[in-house]
Amino acid sequence: MDTGAVLPRKQADYICRDERYCLSMQRYKGQQYSQLYFFRLHTIRQNLLSRVQERWPSLPVCKILGLEEGQLCVVVGTLYKQMQLKPSILEEYSKERSVVPLATPNKFTHNDDYLIMEDESGRVKLIRDANLPSFYVTGVVVAVCGKEEKDGEFFVQEILEPGLPPQIPLPSAVSFDEEKFVVFASGLKIGGESTNPLELQLLLDHLTGHLGEEEEQSLSSQIVRVVIAGGSVDLQTSLSNGQPLSGREQTKLVEPIRELDLALTQLAAAMPVDIMPGPNDPANYSLPQQPLHRCLFPGASLYNTFVSATNPHQFELDGALFLGTSGQNIEDLEKYSEAEERLDFMERTLVWRHLAPTAPDTLGCYPFTDRDPFILEMCPHVYFCGNQPSYASRLLKGPSGQQVRLICIPSFQETSSVVLVSLKTWDSHILTFSANSFQP
Amino acid sequence: MDSKRRNGVATNLPPSKRLQATNGPPVVPAEPMDEEDEDVFLEETLLRDEELHEFGNVNLASQLARWRRPAVANFDPQAHDIVFQQLEIDYVVGESHKELCPNRSGPAAVLRMFGVTQDGNSVCCHVHGFEPYFYISCLDGIGPDDVPKFRSTLESRMREANRNSRSQLFITKIEIVQKRSIMYFQVQKARSFLKIFVGLPTMVAGCRGILERGINIEGLGQRCFLTYESNVLFALRFMIDCDVVGGNWIELPAGSYKDSQTRKSYCQLDVDVLYSKLISHPPVGQYSKLAPFRILSFDIECAGRKGHFPEPEQDPVIQIANLVTVQGEQKPMVRNVMTLKSCSPIVGASVMSFDSEREVLLAWRDLVREVDPDVIIGYNICKFDLPYLIERAETLKVNEFPILGRIRNSRLRIRDTSFSSRQYGIRESKEVTIEGRVQFDLLQAMQRDYKLSSYSLNSVSAHFLGEQKEDVHHSIISDLQNGNPETRRRLAVYCLKDAYLPQRLLDKLMYVYNYVEMARVTGVPISFLLARGQSIKVLSQILRKSKQRGLLVPNMKAQGAGQGESFEGATVLEAKSGFYEKPIATLDFASLYPSIMMAYNLCYCTLVRAEDQHKLNLPAESVTKTPSGEIFVKPTLEKGILPEILEELLAARKRAKADLKEATDPLEKAVLDGRQLALKVSANSVYGFTGATIGQLPCLEISSSVTSFGRQMIEHTKKLVQDNFNVSNGYSHDSEVVYGDTDSVMVQFGVPSVEEAMKLGREAAEQISNTFTKPIKLEFEKVYWPYLLISKKRYAGLLWTKTEKYDKMDTKGIETVRRDNCLLVKNLVTECLHKILIDRNIPGAVQFVKNTISDLLMNRMDLSLLVITKGLTKSGEDYANKSAHVELAERMRKRDAATAPSVGDRVPYVIIKAAKGAKAYEKSEDPIYVLENNIPIDPQYYLENQLSKPLLRIFDPILKNASRELLHGSHTRSVSISTPSNSGIMKFAKKRASCIGCRTPITEENQTLCIHCKGREAELYQKTVTNVRDLEQLFGRLWTQCQRCQGSLHQDVLCTSRDCPIFYRRKKAQKDLAEAEVQLERWDF
Repeated sequence: MDTGAVLPRKQADYICRDERYCLSMQRYKGQQYSQLYFFRLHTIRQNLLSRVQERWPSLPVCKILGLEEGQLCVVVGTLYKQMQLKPSILEEYSKERSVVPLATPNKFTHNDDYLIMEDESGRVKLIRDANLPSFYVTGVVVAVCGKEEKDGEFFVQEILEPGLPPQIPLPSAVSFDEEKFVVFASGLKIGGESTNPLELQLLLDHLTGHLGEEEEQSLSSQIVRVVIAGGSVDLQTSLSNGQPLSGREQTKLVEPIRELDLALTQLAAAMPVDIMPGPNDPANYSLPQQPLHRCLFPGASLYNTFVSATNPHQFELDGALFLGTSGQNIEDLEKYSEAEERLDFMERTLVWRHLAPTAPDTLGCYPFTDRDPFILEMCPHVYFCGNQPSYASRLLKGPSGQQVRLICIPSFQETSSVVLVSLKTWDSHILTFSANSFQP
Repeated sequence: MDSKRRNGVATNLPPSKRLQATNGPPVVPAEPMDEEDEDVFLEETLLRDEELHEFGNVNLASQLARWRRPAVANFDPQAHDIVFQQLEIDYVVGESHKELCPNRSGPAAVLRMFGVTQDGNSVCCHVHGFEPYFYISCLDGIGPDDVPKFRSTLESRMREANRNSRSQLFITKIEIVQKRSIMYFQVQKARSFLKIFVGLPTMVAGCRGILERGINIEGLGQRCFLTYESNVLFALRFMIDCDVVGGNWIELPAGSYKDSQTRKSYCQLDVDVLYSKLISHPPVGQYSKLAPFRILSFDIECAGRKGHFPEPEQDPVIQIANLVTVQGEQKPMVRNVMTLKSCSPIVGASVMSFDSEREVLLAWRDLVREVDPDVIIGYNICKFDLPYLIERAETLKVNEFPILGRIRNSRLRIRDTSFSSRQYGIRESKEVTIEGRVQFDLLQAMQRDYKLSSYSLNSVSAHFLGEQKEDVHHSIISDLQNGNPETRRRLAVYCLKDAYLPQRLLDKLMYVYNYVEMARVTGVPISFLLARGQSIKVLSQILRKSKQRGLLVPNMKAQGAGQGESFEGATVLEAKSGFYEKPIATLDFASLYPSIMMAYNLCYCTLVRAEDQHKLNLPAESVTKTPSGEIFVKPTLEKGILPEILEELLAARKRAKADLKEATDPLEKAVLDGRQLALKVSANSVYGFTGATIGQLPCLEISSSVTSFGRQMIEHTKKLVQDNFNVSNGYSHDSEVVYGDTDSVMVQFGVPSVEEAMKLGREAAEQISNTFTKPIKLEFEKVYWPYLLISKKRYAGLLWTKTEKYDKMDTKGIETVRRDNCLLVKNLVTECLHKILIDRNIPGAVQFVKNTISDLLMNRMDLSLLVITKGLTKSGEDYANKSAHVELAERMRKRDAATAPSVGDRVPYVIIKAAKGAKAYEKSEDPIYVLENNIPIDPQYYLENQLSKPLLRIFDPILKNASRELLHGSHTRSVSISTPSNSGIMKFAKKRASCIGCRTPITEENQTLCIHCKGREAELYQKTVTNVRDLEQLFGRLWTQCQRCQGSLHQDVLCTSRDCPIFYRRKKAQKDLAEAEVQLERWDF
């Protein structure tokens, strides 16, 4: 496959914008989560108030404590969803073990769920039609218009969400006549039982330009960056069951990491690579997840094209803003609320101006005391989400001209696919590899 | 009642009785037995006019007015009947009513019935003309001519004894009546008795004393008399004579009553009536329902000083939360909190703030008066909240505060009582009388009806409502109060919840229905049910029945019975301990003791005294000789009263159960279920009544006969089962009785399937039932499979009532709820039983035990599982022996007086490793302190003193050498002990970094690993990061749970409930995570 001609790989300007997700020198010193909610409410309320002013210019905005029975008004606060199926650690500890072991469901919504609105002053139960609670989750900040009823419940007439944040316009065609692609992959699950190493190798060879004719190679030369959105290894956690491990088992434990390092080294040698930690990667659990430690990648970390990023991960490429997570935020919304497809959840997080509203309630989160890093101040141009069951994409247009490409990145292990996003047209395609036909 | 006298009464059961008490039907608990009337003179309770200040605050008055009762629709005593449900009956001594009782003058006892009409109007009905009386047996030779002489003698003796009395007349009337004593079978049907009427209820006791000690009657000489029915409380006497039962409906026909001119009460309808005019409706049909009465649930908060439990002489009342619910409605009609100093509003509740404590107290008094609750409930209100408010008002000299009852200007009465029992020791408490309102303290009800490991409101609500409440330590309360309106609001929300939970408990446990039904069935006022014991209920029924038959109940208390007398308890067949893998069928006697009493006609009035046996010369076929040697006549000669009471109770229960099946309305169901339960409890307490030697009417001949029959039946059943169900009679296996208790027999028929065991069980039950006198009946109820029989009264098994699937796991006598065990024991025992019985995995259970023990020894155990909790009931000096929790409380006080537990608190502790030979009480330590300082716990203590006994109990029948296998196996060899960070030796230790991989000391700074471990960097990092992951996950879940519990996202969690299962985990997670992070950071160089 020696073609002689060397195709130069295209370049794009990259700026990492992960600072806000870095925990540098933050410690657990007895902080609680109330501060985080306080900052969230405070910040998003600022945005909401101007919208409330436009929508209901004549209505008073009240604190929950200031509500008066029967008076129509607007209240801004954090939603709390009361759910009877929500798993409770208290119950796990205190209840007698039931005779029939409970199956742990993946969906905790129920018809009797209801919403409570809370601000610094107090709480009030919201009532309206039944499908309202299924849409929202705990932690979302909204404005509601309605009135307090006789028994202290608040009848909601309308809900106002913060709406899409403002967007910096795309830089006016620097070099957009030229086709460039960013590749998004997730869920490589190296070391997993059902992982096919051959398909991964096909992917690597394709991206690095070791496969195919010139046409394919020229396509691969247009790839300016690969982003791996979590789920890169499948560690055999079942091995460590509290019992001390033998030496052989210990090496088995690190084998997937070693393989991952090899793969990343191949990639980094050819092009810039961003790797984000995901739900089961060897990083911390709470969001924001901190970069995978460089000592895990003795090979790849030698290249300056290798970037170990946080989750969520935010960066600029040729002036366009990319933002994404390894999927935990969307996964949690799926458990605690209803939507037709995953993209709807993604869209909601943008409209709520909050990347992970269910953190910290049901999604692990660091107890910040001075900020809420998940608040969206700027609208990204590309918003991606890793480890999804299947590929999906949609272009979301906002009222003030915002345009966001939403992408669900499928798990590579399950779909053998990665996603290509064009920096020229802002379209996305799916690229699927199959090693099946090669098998006897 | 005289509290001193109460103290003096020995209320303990003899040892044999105590044995009995744990065995079989409920027995009368130790209780104050000396039930006597206390005359309260109406004038004495009233406040003088100059002490009164009416509503000062107009604004408040109008706010409260909206919660008034519905107004009375146009009302005319001549044209309208009054029909109401009475909830409380008491009496007061006042002037007799001139119009209704024209023949009397001077002080008289006036009964008061308080209640509610169907329309929700409150009624106070003063009943006149009912006079206290009692009987004495008429001596031979006393005829009608002797009565005036007898009366004047008695009158003068009474006058001597009560020189200071204002009464003009003591003995108002003496009649000769034809009656018979309930005691012993008599052929003669009636004899003469004197019915002596006295002026006031308390005179009954005085007069009784004189007659019992002896009185010299002209012409007859010095004679002592046995009195009859002289110990019946006046209110109960009235109820019995007028057929009034607790909580029933009373009708006052139009024209028969008079609208009270003076309006002595705050009730909307205040009427006078002659006792003979009122109509009492039996609680059936339309009169079985409940009136819409009002229930007030309240809670107070006091600002205690640091390190002290609040005292009314010092510490202010800062908040009072109130919740008013109308019986039968779902939502409360009033949610209110009254606060000292300003407080931010609370959604859905009315907040009333005041500048002075005086105003708070008076506002609450006004609220009570305006809302006019019929029932006042709360948690520990009788011993804490109510006395506290009253004493606080006294301290502040708010004289007009304690007018909370329904009688105009009448103040509350508060008195010290003491309750002594062998089980609890002597308990001093206070009793507050609120005229016309029933008090129902949920704490008392819980302690009476349920066996729980903790009675804190928190753990009780967690148990019954599945709801945790945040627990604010009383030392924080003052800080919140001294903060701003927001912090006081925080406190108010907490206070409201404390008022809300008792109401929820009341609803959930259907106390209103159950207690009203109990009062109706047994015929005592509702207020007796909580304040008094079981025996008054049985006595009430016996008196009612006796009255119908013309029998009289003697006052037997002075006979001195019970000293040293005892009888044999119920039989327990030898338990053949072991693990049974074949189904075990259980044959139960339904209501055994009541059935025996009915079957053999056992009663006071059917018992033939030994000395009478020859005299009466009864034919053998008309008497029963019991196995204990007593003789009772058969119903052909005399039907017993107790059997009749029992028959009615059980028949009524059957009816209630049948109705319950057909009922569709949930409210109706609740009433019926309450009724059938009340009937069952009442039936069972009859037997106990006859055996309570210090009770009202003990009769050991009856109770020992009952148990002797019981024993005989168990033996008989065992013999029949083994004789009939064996191979020689054509069955596939020989049956074996493995165990038998008071009223049940466990049989292994030898068949392998549940279905066959059930078939044989039914067959055996039917066959054997036929050999018994009716209504004794052996029933087949359930099969245990598998069945782990440990010893008598200790077993566990899967319970089957149908063939498809087991119902549940049933355990008896295996410690899972004992207070002084740590959670680890409970969890371990439960898990083991689960593995053995349900998973049928004995090796798995053994492995689980070994792993747990290994975790304990290796210091991997979660600390909260090891916490032991004990209540601090008095201060250290008062305890005779040193004990762990008291010593600890002392030590904590020295460390920090502010947070140390004080009397009344529960003290949680763990046992730590201490110097050799240290006493057990020296090894206790505060769990928080242990967490903070890495103090090693003492695993050996937990192994030997907590785990070993319950574990061996379970495993001994299953495993050979259980002790060696479980407690001394190889898994106990490796031990790890943490190094305390505050111990002496650590002061001399020098900190040096060590390799994370192999713990070799590292010389160079800023290194994580030694040279040899360098190659394992990725692997070791992974290990560290995994640890952080797990802790982060735990941290998040724990702290968000606490946020949910406290019901707020935007406020910090304050809760310090040490009863909460996650309290220590929360602390520990915080600390562990901080440490794990430090480890993780070492990689960042």
